[in-house]
This record gives sequence, structure tokens and C-alpha cells, in this order.
Amino acid sequence: MTARRFYAPADTGTDYSRIADPGSYPFTRGRLRPPDGWIQRELSGEGSPRRSNEQLRMLLAHGALGVDVIGDNPTMSAMDPDHPMSVPAVGTTGVSLCRKQDFIELLDGIPLDRITLSHSLPPAFALAGQYLAGRDSGLHPRVLRGSAIQPPLYAEDCSYSTFLPFSLRMRLTLDSIAFSLREMPRFHAFLEDTYYISDGGLDVVEEMSLGLLEIREVSRRLIARGLPVDAFAPRIAILVNCRMDLFEEIAKIRATRRLFARMMRDEFGAADPRSWSANIAVHTSGLSLTAAQPANNIVRGAVQALAMAMAGVQGLEISTFDEPFRTPSAAAHQLAIRTQQIIQAETNIGAVEDPLGGSWYLESLTDDLEQRIDAAVRQMEALGDVDTLVENGYFRGILTAAMDRHSTAVQDGRARIVGVTEHVVPPESDRLLRDAAEERFAPDLAHVERIRAWRPTRAQAPLRDGLDRVRDAAADPDADLMGPIVAASDADATFGEIAGCLREGQGLPADPFEYVGANR
Amino acid sequence: MTRPRPGRLVIGTLGLDQHEVGAMAVSQILVRHGYEVVYLGRFNTPERLAAVAEQEDADIIGVSVHSWEFTAYADELILRCRDLGIGLVFGGSLLTDSDRADLLARGADAVFGAYSAEADMLRQIDAVVQRVRAGSPDPAAGEPLPAPLAGRVVVVTGAAHGLGRAYTLELCRQGAAVVANDIDEAALKETVDAAADTPGSACPAVHDITDPAAPRALLDTALRRYGQLHALVANAGMLRSGPLLRLADDDLRLLLDVHVTAPFRLLRVFGGYWRAEAKANRAVPAAAVLTTSAAGLYGFRAEAAYSAAKAAVTMLARVAADELGRYGTTVNAIAPAARTRLTGWLPDGPADDDPWAPEHVAPVVAWLLGPGARKINGRVVEVGNRQLSVPNAWQPGPPHVLRPGVSPTDVGAVLSRAFESAPDPLRLLGTDSG
Repeated sequence: MTARRFYAPADTGTDYSRIADPGSYPFTRGRLRPPDGWIQRELSGEGSPRRSNEQLRMLLAHGALGVDVIGDNPTMSAMDPDHPMSVPAVGTTGVSLCRKQDFIELLDGIPLDRITLSHSLPPAFALAGQYLAGRDSGLHPRVLRGSAIQPPLYAEDCSYSTFLPFSLRMRLTLDSIAFSLREMPRFHAFLEDTYYISDGGLDVVEEMSLGLLEIREVSRRLIARGLPVDAFAPRIAILVNCRMDLFEEIAKIRATRRLFARMMRDEFGAADPRSWSANIAVHTSGLSLTAAQPANNIVRGAVQALAMAMAGVQGLEISTFDEPFRTPSAAAHQLAIRTQQIIQAETNIGAVEDPLGGSWYLESLTDDLEQRIDAAVRQMEALGDVDTLVENGYFRGILTAAMDRHSTAVQDGRARIVGVTEHVVPPESDRLLRDAAEERFAPDLAHVERIRAWRPTRAQAPLRDGLDRVRDAAADPDADLMGPIVAASDADATFGEIAGCLREGQGLPADPFEYVGANR
Repeated sequence: MTRPRPGRLVIGTLGLDQHEVGAMAVSQILVRHGYEVVYLGRFNTPERLAAVAEQEDADIIGVSVHSWEFTAYADELILRCRDLGIGLVFGGSLLTDSDRADLLARGADAVFGAYSAEADMLRQIDAVVQRVRAGSPDPAAGEPLPAPLAGRVVVVTGAAHGLGRAYTLELCRQGAAVVANDIDEAALKETVDAAADTPGSACPAVHDITDPAAPRALLDTALRRYGQLHALVANAGMLRSGPLLRLADDDLRLLLDVHVTAPFRLLRVFGGYWRAEAKANRAVPAAAVLTTSAAGLYGFRAEAAYSAAKAAVTMLARVAADELGRYGTTVNAIAPAARTRLTGWLPDGPADDDPWAPEHVAPVVAWLLGPGARKINGRVVEVGNRQLSVPNAWQPGPPHVLRPGVSPTDVGAVLSRAFESAPDPLRLLGTDSG
């Protein structure tokens, strides 16, 4: 987006009610946050659940106020670590989680009643795992806080395939949200994650229009099930991306708040003001970081975090300097948390909400983005029902085009990236933090063996019974999936087994790779 | 006749590596440049990629990498591509320089890391396509030579000329990555360039080997470029000829510095690294080959200093082998005889089939660095003129007792007996009848 050289009062409307105070409709300026500002957390997870537990403890010891757990590639695909296709990937890009005991070990000693736990995991399994682990540690589910990503429309095309058909993915979303509202009322069971869909190269308008489209679709279906909008709207949170065009990112958040408030109040008829104010967390862009001169990424993360602090977000995760190479190392974690703490404690940024509000440029940009995001949503909704758009690969087309657009811009130098398109140094000079960034570790084969050895030790009758119930529920379009999934998990079924039964219930092959083969 | 397309590629990711950004971007670039791309997306196995490549008569399989899973699949994929006689390229921003060296050493045709320039990528892909198309359709004929040293990273000193150059090229032919050291920058560059078409790779490292900082710099280069160091060939040498009575101090010092002190320091620095790796449970199957000479084993007429220096090297190898062997490192010495700048006195041979060519020595050195030589430690191999031998080390002769309070006359008698019963020493080399 090309801005003019400067902006003037004529570029913004004079109607302050369109902007309004922080904490007031339409929430352009966000909420009035508690004194500690935002929840400081970092993406974490590597190796076995025990190893990740140490990582979580370390982050909390550094002062993190929440944790965000991501699974390794098999976990994200609801595949067990001992599946032949999983083995080379176990624990290397996140934590390996496939059963109740894994969640118990992951969350051992983590004060779930005092911190928030964000799941970057397949939501139904994450909720089942957290619910059972919380019960195991004697906590009432009412105290559990955090969020679970609900990605029914896009996950399949955005690197987190669970090898399930759209209809099942949507049912899992609706059932797990309903389960959470009932059992874990303080938990944000509907996290709309526009980060992972946009970090292939979507622009802010594409990012937020796809995000709002999914929120609208899921909300309509929840309402159609008879849930009042005020029962679930306050439990929606949005996790957005933050790239390097900082004013655009801040304006995007302000525009999104306004669109969310209007949508909930005027379209869905929400009456509770808590339903109108979007809860927005941010994950700074991994795509904006570079493999060249990795130390520069610390600077990028810091300026993005500063912008997001000024945008008034509820939670913040910085993509760490080693992100182009791996999930965060211990040193990267500490640096990212310290970056947040420096901004929060030393800059006084949090003293005033929306400190940039009233900037002619920012207000003009907010209006502009609001209009363009809204138009993009309407345009997509006019194309027909989303089931068909998903099946036809419409969204995949948007994502692919964005990836191509981004890489072309980098290749031809239109995107200016320090260390890549300019100020390039030869490899032998590019040493600062390189060894730390390129450090690797092996897949956790011991954990694979642990799971293999554990399988036959399970009580077989309740296990079989639990899986049968999952299969039956999947076959019945009106049945609730979440109850059987929690029960089967409690009977030591693995997530891979449960996903297999979900497929079988729909007449599909249980094995994910057979499913892929049949659907190529 | 229609102009043939520039090439056909099968592109996808492996295993559960689902990030397609790179695969899609590269596919688009290739299509824009007239290539045909069969895009296979995610969830591929080596078997599937190869099956589709065969069915589609592709020139190249391109694998996009966004997680470390590729390491588990690379060898199988390389074998399958070899069987099909087609090319294999990897691309992905997380591929480091050492991944690149490793994959190339294992048999990949090209590896593109972060921010590979589009023009360079297209040039390399075109070269692979041309190679594939020029190759015999019979996969057996297209099969490259075995690369027993693939993935091994070797420092060769004195790599610009003669034996060092031959070692470097042979090691590269066998798949190794060589940090080639010499003081002669221009000649070194020529050696490194000559290694360009081998399965291995070489990078130049210009240092004076008598500089105390050189060993550390070479280790750093190896680790930085290739992520590991497996072996040393301490080959750098020079000659200051002259009888004892005429050799100046400066010449003596230089001889000892180059032939004795330099390999000693290299072993100290590299050995320290290998010991640290072993203590951190990452033991490296390391090997060092030092360079002695027939002069150091048997002595060479009028080369007292050179012979003494080379004799020191044999004992250095022997004792260092014992010390470093505890950490999995072997140390051996080679006594080469080959036509180099140091050996103008060798008899002439036919230019096209010279038995004294350094190329005859190089495979022996390469073998000593490879998996077949793990149990060979502290030994010397003499090689040249198309033969090799394992010379005997010094051995004690039969003992002769010296009684308490022995008289000078008795000592003389005992010595006479001892010399009478001992075999005559070998003649020095370079004597008329020698």
C-alpha cells in the first residue's frame, strides 16, 4: 500500500463516535487493559512432553504470563509418533502429543489456574487433553484459561492438514466450542488464527477478510444450533499476524475491532458489550524474518512488538530470531520474553491506551482498511456457500497466489529486505548468532519407542468401547463428537486412533496416508 | 521440429513437511521460464516421487524442504534417482551450507538454500537437465562411481601442487568436502576449480602453515563451511637441501617448522576438537595422515635435517595415535615417493603413464581416511612407483648383559659382540649402490 507523503485533518472524518473511547463501541481503540498490559507468551514445544514441560517451566521462570504450545508435524496432523511417516519428524518442530498421559506430562506443575494456555494444536484433541490433564491435577475445568485455534476452513491448505473432510472438521470445531463453553467457560474455545494462514504472504486485507469470513461462518452455524450469540461471542479471540509495515498492522487491528463490533451487534444481534469487543492477540511474522544475518531478526521482533503494544493487543508472541531455521531455542525464548518485558516495563507504552489514536494517517488508514476488508468479505460471501469454496480449492488459490506474489517481490527486489535484497554480506561474514540459529536436534526416537511399548499395556475393553463410540458418532451427522473423543482419550485411545475412527465412521480409510492417496 | 522444452521437473515436499511456500514459488518460477512442472504437493515418499518421475519421464525431482525430515529420506531418494538416471535437487531456506555440502556429497545434483538467486538456480537446473539428457538412458551406465568419503570433511595442507593437489582431487572424487590449504593462492584456486566437477567439494583456505594461528583458522573454516571436521592430511612440505656442514640456521628452523611443528600443532588443535566432541557424546570417526618420507625411515644422503625432520614425523604419528586413539581418532603416516617439486631426482617416466605420478599415491591416503581404515592406527605406509609396503618400525636387538662394575675393556667386548650379531643397517638412500 502506498501512502501519501503526509496526512492532514481533512483525511479523517470528524465523527468521533466512529472511533470512540477505548472500552466503548465500536472498540476501534480496543479495551482498557489491566495494568500489566498484555499476556506475554512465546511459541513453545519440542521433543517429548517431558522435555516440553521443562521448556514451559523455563518460560514461566523467565516471566512469561502465558504459554503457547505447538505440536510437531505428526501431532498437528493428528498422527501418532509411531506411524511410519511420523518417525522422522517426532519432536523436531514442536512437541509430540498423542494421548492423555502426554498432556499430563506436558502440563505437570504448570499453574493452569493462573496462566493462560494457548493451543496451536488440533482443537478437539487439545481441549480433550487439557481438560483431562486439568482434572488429573485436581483443577475444576471452570478455572482453565487459554485458547484453541479453530481452523475448519483453511488448515487443510495451510500446512496443518488433519486428513479429515471439511464436514468433519467443521463438526469438530462446533462441538469443541460447545464443549468448552459448557465445561471451561473462561477458555477462549474459538481462536480465529489469521497468523498461520497469512504468513505465506497474504496482505492485511486478505488476512482479515479470510479471518472474518471464518468467524462469520462458524458463528452462523453455532447460532443455527441454538446457541445464543452472547454465549459464545465473548469467547472468540483473534490471533493476527504482524509484518513490518507497522502502521498498516496497527490500522488493521483497529479496523478489525470495528468490523467485529458491528458484525456482532448489528448482524448477529449480540446485546452484551463483551460480545462486541474483539480480543486480539498477535504473533509477529516469521515470514518477515530472514535466514541471512539472523541477529537482525531480534530487531525486527522488537519493533513489531513495540507496534503491537501500541495497538493495544491482549496477547503477544514474538517470532524468535531463529524462526527461519527452527522452532525457538532456549536462548531465543529468553530474548523474546525479555524484549516484551523491556517494552512493557521500561517504555511506559502501556500507560495510555491507543496512544496513536487521532493520528491523521492512522485514522485514515483504519477507515481505508475497514472498507476494503469489509468489501472483500462481502465479495467472498457472494460467491456462494463456503463448503463449495473449500471443496473447489478457492481458498487454496488465494494462498498460492500470495506465496507466488511474495517470492516474486523478493526475487525482483521490489520487497526491500535488509540482508537479502540490500546490504547483503558474504556467507563468511554472516556469523553473528548463526551457529545458534542453525543448531539442530534429532527426532525423539525414544519417545516413539515409549509409545510403541505402551500401546499393548492399555486395558483393551474400555479402549475398544471408546473408539467404537467415536466411530459411531462420526457416522451420525447429528451426534456430538466431543463427548466420545474425551471419553476415548480418557480410556487411553491415541489421537491417531481417534482420528482414524472419525474417518472410518465416514466410510473413509483409517490411515491418513491411505486417505490422502484416495483423495489425490 | 519443435524446440524441446527446457526440462520437466517433479516437485513436492517429503513426509509430513507441509509448508509449500517454497515448492510453489519455485514451481512458478520454473513455469515462467518454460519448464514443465509436475506438482505433487505434500505427503510424498521417495517411492512416490520416483514413481511419478518415471511415469512422467521427468528430468529432475525437486524437493522443497521446510523441516528436518528430509535427512531421513535423502539417501533413499538419491538411490532411486540414480536408478532412474535422473537429477535430484533440494531447496529450502533452512538448508545451511553444511546441509548443502552433505547433500551434494551424498549424491544430490544441486542444493539451494535461503535466497538462492533465481538466475543461479535456473543455470544450475539447466546444467542438471543437460547432464541427465546427455547421459545414457541405461541407468547402470549413468551410475556414478561410489563415493566412500561422501559427507567426510577433510583438511589438506599443501593442497596447491603435487601430492596435495592429487589428494584434494581424489578425496573430492570420492565425495569428500575438502578444506584445501596452501600458501600459494593462485595455484590453490586452480586446484579448487579443478575439483568443481567432482561429487565432493573443495574450498580454498590460504594460510602459512607455520603460523601458530593457522590450525585454528582451518578448523574454523571447516566447521563454518561444512559443519564438521573428520580428517586431516598434513601434507605441506618444502625442501632446504644441503649437507650438515652448510645448512644455515634459518633453513634448519624452516624445515623443522614446516615438517614437525606444523603437524604437531594441527594434531593438538584438531585433536582437542575431536576429544571435546567425544566427551560431548558426539565422537567423530576422525583420521589424520601425516607425511613422512623414505628419508625419515632410512635416511637420505646429504639431507640430514630433512631426514631428521621426517623421522620425527613417524614417531609423532606413532605416539599421537596412542593418545588420540582414546577419542576415536586414528593417526598414521604416509611415506610417498612421487614426482613433485621436491623430487626432481626421480627417474623419468612416460608422461602419459608415469609410475611416479602423485595420482598413484592419492587413493592410499583416501583409504586411510575412510571407513575401511578405522582399525589402522600409528602405522606407516610407503607408497610410490605403483607399489606400497608397510615398513617395520625400529625393533630392539638381542640383549647383551653389562655386569656391575664392568671395565672399559669389557664394554668394548660386549659392544663388539652386539654389533657382530646385529644385522647391517640399510644403506642410506641416495648412495651409489642404494
